[in-house]
Amino acid sequence: MQSRRVADIDSYLDPAAAVWSSEAANRIDMIPAPLGLQPTDHIIATWENRPYGEAEWADLKSVHDGETLAVHISWSCAKISIGASEGFPDAAAIAFPVRGEPILLSMGSSDAPMHMLQWKAKGNETRSVLAEGIGSSLPGPSVSENGKGGWSQGIWSVVFSRSLNAPENASPLSAGMTTLIGVAVWNGTNEERAGIKAVSGDWTDFILEA
Amino acid sequence: MSSKQVAMVIDLNKCIGCQTCTVACKTQWTNKEGQEGMYWNTVSTAPGGGTPKDWEGMGGGFRDGKAQAGIRPKQADFGDAWEFNVEDVMFGGDPNGTVGPMEGDPIYGTNWDEDVGGGDYPNSFFFYIPRICNHCTKPACMEACPRGAIYKRDEDGIVLINEDHCRGFRFCQEACPYKEIYFNQTTGTAQKCIFCLPRVEEGVATACSRQCPGRVRFLGFLDDEDGPIHKLVYKHKVALPLHPEYETEPNVFYIPPLAPPSFDDEGNEIDESRIPILYLISLFGPAVHDSLEIIKHERELKRQGGTSELMDVLISRNWLDLFGPFTTQPKDVARTLEGRGNA
Ligand code: SF4
Ligand code: SF4
Repeated sequence: MQSRRVADIDSYLDPAAAVWSSEAANRIDMIPAPLGLQPTDHIIATWENRPYGEAEWADLKSVHDGETLAVHISWSCAKISIGASEGFPDAAAIAFPVRGEPILLSMGSSDAPMHMLQWKAKGNETRSVLAEGIGSSLPGPSVSENGKGGWSQGIWSVVFSRSLNAPENASPLSAGMTTLIGVAVWNGTNEERAGIKAVSGDWTDFILEA
Repeated sequence: MSSKQVAMVIDLNKCIGCQTCTVACKTQWTNKEGQEGMYWNTVSTAPGGGTPKDWEGMGGGFRDGKAQAGIRPKQADFGDAWEFNVEDVMFGGDPNGTVGPMEGDPIYGTNWDEDVGGGDYPNSFFFYIPRICNHCTKPACMEACPRGAIYKRDEDGIVLINEDHCRGFRFCQEACPYKEIYFNQTTGTAQKCIFCLPRVEEGVATACSRQCPGRVRFLGFLDDEDGPIHKLVYKHKVALPLHPEYETEPNVFYIPPLAPPSFDDEGNEIDESRIPILYLISLFGPAVHDSLEIIKHERELKRQGGTSELMDVLISRNWLDLFGPFTTQPKDVARTLEGRGNA
């Protein structure tokens, strides 16, 4: 997919903004994160007979202005969960490789880490996360990360934004560059959290227009 | 497995269900925001729903060494903290006001079915079961955490949650077969009994043990042959873990309850405990039979004027003998934390 270069990125920071409707959507097939890759035996035992990760697709759009990247992701989620009281919030994440060739489903490795932005419906919280394998995620460096989500008629739409320029551990991006993108979404109503999620099975080419 | 392991033995024959332990723990450790409905120590009537409600049917733990699926207890299963209309009744000007919960009738709470028990008259029965985290030798909670946020201390076997690493995923709540982990909605982290770590480190007994008016709760290290724990668990083999079939190897043990004899249809006493042995086996495993026989035998010895080390330990005439190496008085420890009681 391509991240188109635009002049005023600010008008793209709202997921409901009209400007997004003229951007082409790239449909990504999603699968439940494999049970065998879950990090502990108890998680596997508890979830082996329980459906999860049922979002079948995620639509991705992206623009940048040479300094800031915006990624628009939407997916179907019949019932909204903002994670009130003891509930789990709906959530989404986008990932880029940091270096090497990280395997998306196993969330990278120490030689080939990946960097993520994770958004949660609870308070529109957006975190920068560095992963070097399953269960290893740590706070990542600041990349002026931001996220804003909106839910309407069974569809979540979230815009992630971050600076292109970034420290080495946060996947530096630049206009003209080709990299890879991966996505994950969590259905809070189904108590999905951590590795219990829907993921794009593999990376998708991600080209930042020069 | 840790090099040393602290443990507790709870004598169910002496527990009077007074909840002093519950309050000692509550005021010491769970009196902050987000902990309103949280009791790291509970005392429930058996048989009964327990805390959280029907926890024995919520899975987790291991079977034949394999992790078992578990259900996550919800706040409603533990019971919410209730607000009472005390202000209204005392100062509201209505002479007929009665004290009650403010937001409608509560649905459940810890110690909900107090003294209801089981069996049919005249063979009805009940007893109390105090529970805390068992600081298991094979903690299912620790195995379940994808963040490695739960650890077992090598020096004393206490199982702790590192809340800096906890992300509130609560897989531990699913995995713990004793459902001894709570979720703090204010901090967004899992919390549970810490075996009074800051006290124990200073040689002071746990608050629940020291405050217990029934002298019910023995403390010590498992391998300390002179301490009460080793004597009750290994030497006399009368203290048993609750639900050993969960395979987490708990380090809280129970002296099973004796009871008066049952009556037959004509009202004659028969040679059968009022507490059905099958029920006790369902709680403590088949070893409960021998444990009760040993206790009865030693009690008879003592009655007839003989000596019984086991009875002397269980009677615990000297209060401090309950606590193994943890006999330091709280007042003798430099207190660095504000707001802690002199429990
Ligand atoms: S009782 Fe539960 S919370 Fe406590 S150590 Fe055992 S498994 Fe963990
Ligand atoms: S304080 Fe002692 S006697 Fe009272 S409920 Fe607790 S364990 Fe039982």
